[in-house]
Amino acid sequence: MKAEYRPYLKRLLITLILSLVIVGAINEGFYLLQKEKTDRAPKTVQLVIPKGTAERVAAGEPVPSLPEAMVFVVGDVLEVKNEDVVQHQLGPIWVPAGSTGRLALETADKHSYSCSFSLSRYLGVDVRQATTLGTRLTALGIAAPTMTVFLFIYGLLAFPIQPREKSKSLELSAEGEDE
Amino acid sequence: MGSVLLAGLLLAGWRVLNGGYQYQGSLIDPPAPAADFTLRDQNGEIFRLSDQKGKVVLIFFGYTNCPDVCPITLTDFKRIKDELGDLAAEVRFVLITVDPERDTVERLRNYLPSYDPSFYGLTGERAQLERVWQSYGVYQAQLEDGSEAGYEVEHTARIYAIDTQGNWRLTYPFEMDRKAVIEDVRHLLKEN
Repeated sequence: MKAEYRPYLKRLLITLILSLVIVGAINEGFYLLQKEKTDRAPKTVQLVIPKGTAERVAAGEPVPSLPEAMVFVVGDVLEVKNEDVVQHQLGPIWVPAGSTGRLALETADKHSYSCSFSLSRYLGVDVRQATTLGTRLTALGIAAPTMTVFLFIYGLLAFPIQPREKSKSLELSAEGEDE
Repeated sequence: MGSVLLAGLLLAGWRVLNGGYQYQGSLIDPPAPAADFTLRDQNGEIFRLSDQKGKVVLIFFGYTNCPDVCPITLTDFKRIKDELGDLAAEVRFVLITVDPERDTVERLRNYLPSYDPSFYGLTGERAQLERVWQSYGVYQAQLEDGSEAGYEVEHTARIYAIDTQGNWRLTYPFEMDRKAVIEDVRHLLKEN
């Protein structure tokens, strides 16, 4: 590599490290401030339909321990365990009595599913994209190079590499060639 | 002794290979024996679900006057069948009517070939069908729409996949990704 490029390369490297630190700090700062329960790895979430649920719903009585809305992460598996004596359904999940229905939640979306074991007959299911270490590293990978370019160009304009440094580098390289 | 060891290794390998597959439809686990029924097909022949063991059966509840959901699902059935290729011979595609008054054997015989002549269209007496609808959790209600046809039928649009052992295994919502259904069906057949 030509010696005249070395100061630029050195500055680019410093700018890259600086960008990684700045972007990483901003990323993690906002992540910690906005962190939610759904920022986790996918898992299996089980919903149990207790025995007698159909009778309770028919009688207009609320079903214990059933939330009005449920929040999931993309990749979660929703498992509906039917301990009742009749079949039940939750949107696309249909579960015969005594069995379990499973559905992998693959896309982030908000659903209002028809639900046979909810008093309102509907259940909100919110599937969100989780912020994991992988997504944070991806964000860092996208933002840091862009920031590096901006800082590098700004640095060249605000703090130009001095010609003295250039000539000194050239002299040094010339001396090296003479030897 | 050697052959027993080899068989054990092959079985373990098969389990490892199959263990990784995640069904894309809503999985019923443990598999529950599907409610058996006997209805008449478009040729007037008896169709008994329990006679279909060894095949994967895809069941959809609909009706021939249906303006939207049923034609779309039957078109999906046709595409699934085409994409399954030779394996399609191991799959039964079944439409069970939710409108027995209009969906006679003759009506089904004329209707189904426009999708695929190998599809089964099943009908029967309303009382017979009501038992089937109830067993499969199928909702259906006639809605007067003032049209020439007289009424539409609002109905469940779910697809049921029965495995080769006659068990309820999977259900799919309306317009489920076709590729996902095909992969699941292939896997159900592989399990046989």
